[in-house]
Amino acid sequence: MTTVLEVRGLTKRFGGLTALEDVSLAAGGGKVVGIVGVNGAGKTTLMNCLCGIYRPDGGTIRIDGHDTTGHAPHQIAHRGVGRTFQVPRVFGKMSLIDNLLVPVLSRDQPDAQLLAQAEAMLEQMRLIHLRHNFAEELSGGQQKLLEMGRMLMPEPRLVMLDEPFAGVHPQLCSFMIERIAAMAAAGRTVLLISHDLTSIYRLSDWLIAMNQGRIIAEGGVEDIRGNRDVIEAYLGG
Amino acid sequence: MTKPPSPLALADREHGDRIYRRLAVLLGAAVSIYFVSVPLLGLNVAFHFYMMLWVTMATAFNITSGFSGYMPFGYVAFYGVGAFTTAVLVKKAGFAMFVALPVAGLAGVLLSLLFAPTLRLSGIYFAIVSFALAGICRLTIANLPEEITGGSFGLQLGSRAQPIFAFYTMMAVMLAALLGVLWLSRSRLGKALRAVRDDADAADMMGVNVGWVRLQGWMLAAFFPALCGGVEAWYTNVVDTETAFNTLITAKTVIYAVAGGLGTVTGPVVGAIAMSWLDELIWRRFPLINLLLLGVAVMLLVLFLPRGLVGTILRARPQWRRYIP
Amino acid sequence: MTALVLNGLVNGIIVGGLYALLGLSLSLLYGVLRVVNFAHGELVIGGSFVAYMLFRALGLPPLYSLPVAAVSFFAAGWCAYYLLIPRLSRSDDPETMSFLLMYGLSIALAATLLLLFGADSRSIDYSFNPISVAIGPVNVSTARVVALAVTIVITAAMGWFLFRTLPGKALRAATMNREATQIIGINVVRLSALAFALAFAIAGMTGVLIALVFPAFSPFSGGEYSIIGFIVIVLGGLGNPVGALIAGVFYGVAEQMATVFLPQALAQIVGFALLVGTILVRPTGLFGFRALR
Repeated sequence: MTTVLEVRGLTKRFGGLTALEDVSLAAGGGKVVGIVGVNGAGKTTLMNCLCGIYRPDGGTIRIDGHDTTGHAPHQIAHRGVGRTFQVPRVFGKMSLIDNLLVPVLSRDQPDAQLLAQAEAMLEQMRLIHLRHNFAEELSGGQQKLLEMGRMLMPEPRLVMLDEPFAGVHPQLCSFMIERIAAMAAAGRTVLLISHDLTSIYRLSDWLIAMNQGRIIAEGGVEDIRGNRDVIEAYLGG
Repeated sequence: MTKPPSPLALADREHGDRIYRRLAVLLGAAVSIYFVSVPLLGLNVAFHFYMMLWVTMATAFNITSGFSGYMPFGYVAFYGVGAFTTAVLVKKAGFAMFVALPVAGLAGVLLSLLFAPTLRLSGIYFAIVSFALAGICRLTIANLPEEITGGSFGLQLGSRAQPIFAFYTMMAVMLAALLGVLWLSRSRLGKALRAVRDDADAADMMGVNVGWVRLQGWMLAAFFPALCGGVEAWYTNVVDTETAFNTLITAKTVIYAVAGGLGTVTGPVVGAIAMSWLDELIWRRFPLINLLLLGVAVMLLVLFLPRGLVGTILRARPQWRRYIP
Repeated sequence: MTALVLNGLVNGIIVGGLYALLGLSLSLLYGVLRVVNFAHGELVIGGSFVAYMLFRALGLPPLYSLPVAAVSFFAAGWCAYYLLIPRLSRSDDPETMSFLLMYGLSIALAATLLLLFGADSRSIDYSFNPISVAIGPVNVSTARVVALAVTIVITAAMGWFLFRTLPGKALRAATMNREATQIIGINVVRLSALAFALAFAIAGMTGVLIALVFPAFSPFSGGEYSIIGFIVIVLGGLGNPVGALIAGVFYGVAEQMATVFLPQALAQIVGFALLVGTILVRPTGLFGFRALR
């Protein structure tokens, strides 16, 4: 397996609060790595460090072998990293097509080609009929799909999804699961945070359980399901 | 992963583009023909000169506010600096006007670079700092030695004004600004700017170099008001700090742009033309309460037509958005 | 030299007191409503003109204009709130729209004053008896001392209101977290109207005091007081009334000292430069909140 992402000893503090403590993980080769944990476990903080929004206080991040620790978000994006957000962050006053074009603006390809790609992506996400609407006019679920499409436009090697199923109705949920499985099948490495245990067990090749900024367990789905520490962390104590 | 889109989407897009281009050409032609004929038909040159000035100012302002999301309440700084640069170059250094004007534009751009650190400020802080910086510019120029900038009396450019040349130059500047914004609205830079406006961190994570994109928008937005200041100085033949840095210039620019609707090319044009006419009519009938009516008009606009004329229409008919430049 | 400096200091405190009130009212508006009042200077000058009018028409000493200004401006603020603000908060971009609205209001107010009083500078020829008071080696006009006393009274009253009364505490809570305040059952709309009206009332009274302290004012003076207000609330931290008070006095002293040592024109630039510098270097002011994009 080619390692696309390698994290060693990642630490992040906010004032007196330690959000991440000595987190290490590796991912690659078209596998889906699920990250579970209660609220405040540090999952989103981890993602924010990986994509450059937060500067870690310790540890290293390597993407495709390159050290990207502390790099600016746009530089990391150019390394082939894409992400979605827990609460959709679409460009509200831009059309859906324009939203999809943003990650590929620096590409050499001619406009017509990029537009065609954007349209194809919208079709795949079943949003093509709304392509001229402003993103803020979409429903929450539709915005999540838009984000997904936007993330995929530059054909990222590493994809990070933060709670893609949150607040989404079951039908849309299964569509998203399909899309995520397709991403992995296409060779992309997927990091997936979710509270929807059913979905995450279905999709993940490997699971990481976090609590209070640390990794408390990792392994295959069956290992984690029965892991006492994980169950305790979720249920209290 | 990427299969080609259905032929329907492509045909639809080309159709939309065709309409857009036709409307853009129509707009440009209508504007050009109308203003070219003003002196030829003996219409009020002064009124139309200033109308073109406001169209240009509102259009350029749209770059920094509608497209980039900033509200520079000290926008007049660029105008004033452009006016004084032109005056000093022509009067004191003996430059020809056609050389002085582009240099004045450049002066505006340089000033914008100087003010660039303020771009990281949010909403009100940015607005207030912009206002203060314009004040500093005004006071600094007013206090420069009289030999350079004429102290409190200002400078007179030449022995007499050349209104007709200035008029057509203003038209050229206006058309350049309109072309510039037309290009921007469809260009990649324009999309990047708007993405940064809507959500800078998300844009960053999508690979957009936020700082550089913002700077480009800012410099472009500073170039045209500086030119306007220069051309107006040529038109009136006189420049002084009270008129060149008058806060009413920012006020009118902002109001006219908002009245038409920020974020589209036609918005500020419509706003500037409509408000110019309104201003003229009111000034003729009620010269004393002109200012009061302006203030009240702004308030009514904000309360009842916050998206401006064009903006409100597009809100009601979103499908027209890709046709209207 | 020391006499000059002491003079500057004393006057700085007096002027600073006025600036503190300016900052207080502006801060109240921003804290509760997130409205930056570009028309604040014009409001204040409106208060000055009310005092002027009452003095010219009825011979009313400026001190008696204080309650008149307070009550009338309070009422005006209350009405203005209900007329203007609810629509604003429903718009796409309330922050920008509120600037523009207040911008428009500032133009309208200045124009109204111009129409009513003309463009000339006015002043109130009221003199106290004795005309000046000696504080140590410095001679200060009684009017200024009275103004300072009134400032202190108003500040104390506001302090008592904000920290000791229920509506006042609710107001401070709303400044910190509007939604939370709503959830616990407080009528935030009425509270906001109260804040608005209070801010207007203080502004009106500040105007009367300005007529006592400064030699002259005109419909165009509003702009410079707006700037001073901004400087003060930025220095003190947006939405922080106590910060605004301290910053006001600090700025007043700094300004008066600057005029002792620097030529007039330079002193004006110092004010602006201080504003810009503070925002860029320490945007949260001496005590405040978030400023960056």
